[in-house]
Amino acid sequence: MNNNEKPSTVSADTSKEVKQASSKQLIAIIFILALATKMFLQPLFLIKSAGRDAYIALAIDGTFDLIVLVITLFAMKLSPNRDFFELTRCVFGKVGSRIIVGFFGLYLFFKLNVAVSETVAFYSKNILTDLDTTLLILILLLFLVGVALHSLRAMTRLNELLTPVIVICLVLLITIVAATGFDLANIFPTMRHPREFGITLSRHMTWLGDFSPLLLFLGRTEMKKSTLPLSVTAGALGTAVSVFFSIVMCAAFGNITSMVDASTNLSSILQYSLGNVYGRIDLVSEILWSVASFIQNALFFYCTVRCFEYVIGKPFHLATSLGVSVLLFTSLTVMFKDPEILNAVIVSEITSGLVASFAVTMSVIALVCALIIKRRETKGGQNQDKSAKALRSSE
Amino acid sequence: MRQLDTITQKFKSDTAVTRELTVKGKKYGLVIFPDLSDTATIRAIVVALEAQSEPAPLDKVKTEVLFECESEKSNNIDDCINGLLSGDVLLAAEDEEGYLIVNARSYSTRGIVEPPTETVMRGPREGFIEDLKTNLSLLERRLKTPDLAIEKMQIGRRTDTAVAVCYLASVASPKVVKKIKERLKKIDIDGIVDSHYLVPYLEEKPLSMFAQVGVCEKPDVLSAKLLEGRVGIFVDGSPIALTLPFILEEDFQSAEDYYLRPSCASLLRLLRYLGLILAVLLPALYVALQNFHYKLIPVRFMITLMSAIKGLPMSPLSETFFVLLLFEIIREASVRMPRAVGMAMSIVGALVLGETAVKAGIISSPAVMVTALSSIALFTVPNQIQTMSILRLVYTVIAGLTGLFGLTLAVLFTLHYICAMNAYNAPYLAPFSPLISSDFKDSIDRAPFPEMENRPESIPNINSRRQAK
Repeated sequence: MNNNEKPSTVSADTSKEVKQASSKQLIAIIFILALATKMFLQPLFLIKSAGRDAYIALAIDGTFDLIVLVITLFAMKLSPNRDFFELTRCVFGKVGSRIIVGFFGLYLFFKLNVAVSETVAFYSKNILTDLDTTLLILILLLFLVGVALHSLRAMTRLNELLTPVIVICLVLLITIVAATGFDLANIFPTMRHPREFGITLSRHMTWLGDFSPLLLFLGRTEMKKSTLPLSVTAGALGTAVSVFFSIVMCAAFGNITSMVDASTNLSSILQYSLGNVYGRIDLVSEILWSVASFIQNALFFYCTVRCFEYVIGKPFHLATSLGVSVLLFTSLTVMFKDPEILNAVIVSEITSGLVASFAVTMSVIALVCALIIKRRETKGGQNQDKSAKALRSSE
Repeated sequence: MRQLDTITQKFKSDTAVTRELTVKGKKYGLVIFPDLSDTATIRAIVVALEAQSEPAPLDKVKTEVLFECESEKSNNIDDCINGLLSGDVLLAAEDEEGYLIVNARSYSTRGIVEPPTETVMRGPREGFIEDLKTNLSLLERRLKTPDLAIEKMQIGRRTDTAVAVCYLASVASPKVVKKIKERLKKIDIDGIVDSHYLVPYLEEKPLSMFAQVGVCEKPDVLSAKLLEGRVGIFVDGSPIALTLPFILEEDFQSAEDYYLRPSCASLLRLLRYLGLILAVLLPALYVALQNFHYKLIPVRFMITLMSAIKGLPMSPLSETFFVLLLFEIIREASVRMPRAVGMAMSIVGALVLGETAVKAGIISSPAVMVTALSSIALFTVPNQIQTMSILRLVYTVIAGLTGLFGLTLAVLFTLHYICAMNAYNAPYLAPFSPLISSDFKDSIDRAPFPEMENRPESIPNINSRRQAK
């Protein structure tokens, strides 16, 4: 061996990627989750009810989501080695754990419905008007099943690979928008109808919980000291970008509220108006949004499948993925065939309340479980120390 | 002689020749395979035996009479037959058990020339040949270190092919080496005739269309790969060495990159990446934009395009698919044809067929141009031609049927699939995913050698440092 060479202290076989996700990958996925569906239907509904104040509602919603994110991240920090399933099993027992995970799976399944319907609606109404929506759902489901067959590691790696592309697209878009300019006066006056604004907020909590899939990252993610602050920053940055584009939209179009009344999908206006005003950047923005939303859909699908697998007790990836996709296909093509029905469900107060409470409760459950386990382990350690001391003194 | 009969009885034909000679009253017997053995060595053995002052037993013959020859005494008939079939001479002595296997192997091999698949403007032009011994000597000449481990084994019940596993013991990961050797030892096949026979046994996903084993034909390339912690596998009779672990990035690197100025090499690598993206996605994008997203095509370009495709009998998808298929057929025909005819084929295919098809109004010139551009770009990464040709066809069909929606999903799925590949603990898409910043020094960018202080982290190794700070 050359004198200049030195054997590495850690064999690369036990290399950096011991966990399913690295700290960097977690940060990247948080950024994408913060960005994905907030760009689709949510601003549309908010503008419909809150008018130009929609961006404020979006920012408040985003802040709530960030609080949920912080709770989840604390749970992750407290439980570096136990995953969500193991945590709940240790605290609530096998049956209790399966009930909790089952409900979590159902909640994720609903969120998946919303996410997939938003993505498909965007494409079918704006980009592929000639194609049948059912075909689009089928293609998307094929992709989701393919993704769910692989590990979380593959998903986080894919996201890590695409995040720079998305960031580049974002920077390009923001530069073009900023260079071209827009009239900020159009976003004023704000908070003209505070009561309506409050109602709007309470009825649009369905979009909360974008970070809920991160619960499946518990115990599988490499947590460093900087992970928590950087992750929150990434989430905040993603939310800020969504809010920025909503502001731009309101600023670029003084008549945004009447435009929204004539449309069912905000993205169409945002995409094509930006395209018309700022040149041919709609392709860039389309790629940006679709890639981010596809990743989000895939993550929701993956987590739903893994939750149901846990409840069933068998890791049949293909069978469970196919089962979930059949359920999803049925719900989107039969139950929510008319988008108006889904929209009505999404903005109902009951759904909003349920989704919001689930989003918070699940993260809190994870945090509490992690705290209990941590306490048990500390006590166990102390007891061991005591018995060791006692043994030594008796000797 | 009894020993000679024991050997010859094992053979179904009389290809094994036996000779007996008496030296000062003691009988010796030789079994030879004339087709595989060197006559001069056989003659030298006979002369040496006859020159003995006292007839010696086999052990003494080995150490004193044939001391300059590589020889080994064995009582195992199978080993003797294997040696004989490899060109060794078997020497038996009267009233003695066992045989002396003397190396007299000789087969005609071709000269060491530059391999056609890895030609370079600058740098060594030596290439491996079909002889294992020559290949190993080429490698040993470059890696003059006792650290170079070469472990030989025989694979194939009928071919009994020699396989050599080479690695640097203080660099390569022992787990990787162990895994490779275990996989090789498990192979129970009647025969292997080329190194590619081993590939599916070494791959984690043999059905995948993405190569998971690297190939190289040059000793300088193999040496560099071993220095990075990889393991090389030679198969007797094959000029292509296999390397493991393999990551996709390797196909974008050429031996010449390391002999050029770093800035030039970096530019070339960037072009290769762009070329491959262009090659795979251009026809699909062309079809998707024309079929579904014509609003995204700038107006002036749209007018030109409209005039070019006016009156075409085929849809954009069938037209582009037809041109792509035509290209694949011409390419395949050109490769299989003798070189002189192949050139003519290319001219007929590219110029005559393409030109007349456009003039006849069957296909449009933009479709031909898109395919031609994509195909030229495809050749920037020669090792990926097969895989990317398939992907290009698949993407084109998907884009033609489902537009950018399907195309984006198809690309994402492909990326996700290769992100999941992690054979021998080496992430297939490293250093991009997972992001390994230190490995970017030899990725799209090729940093100067003084800056490449460490071996790539993407490849498992037990000695990360390659030079002093």
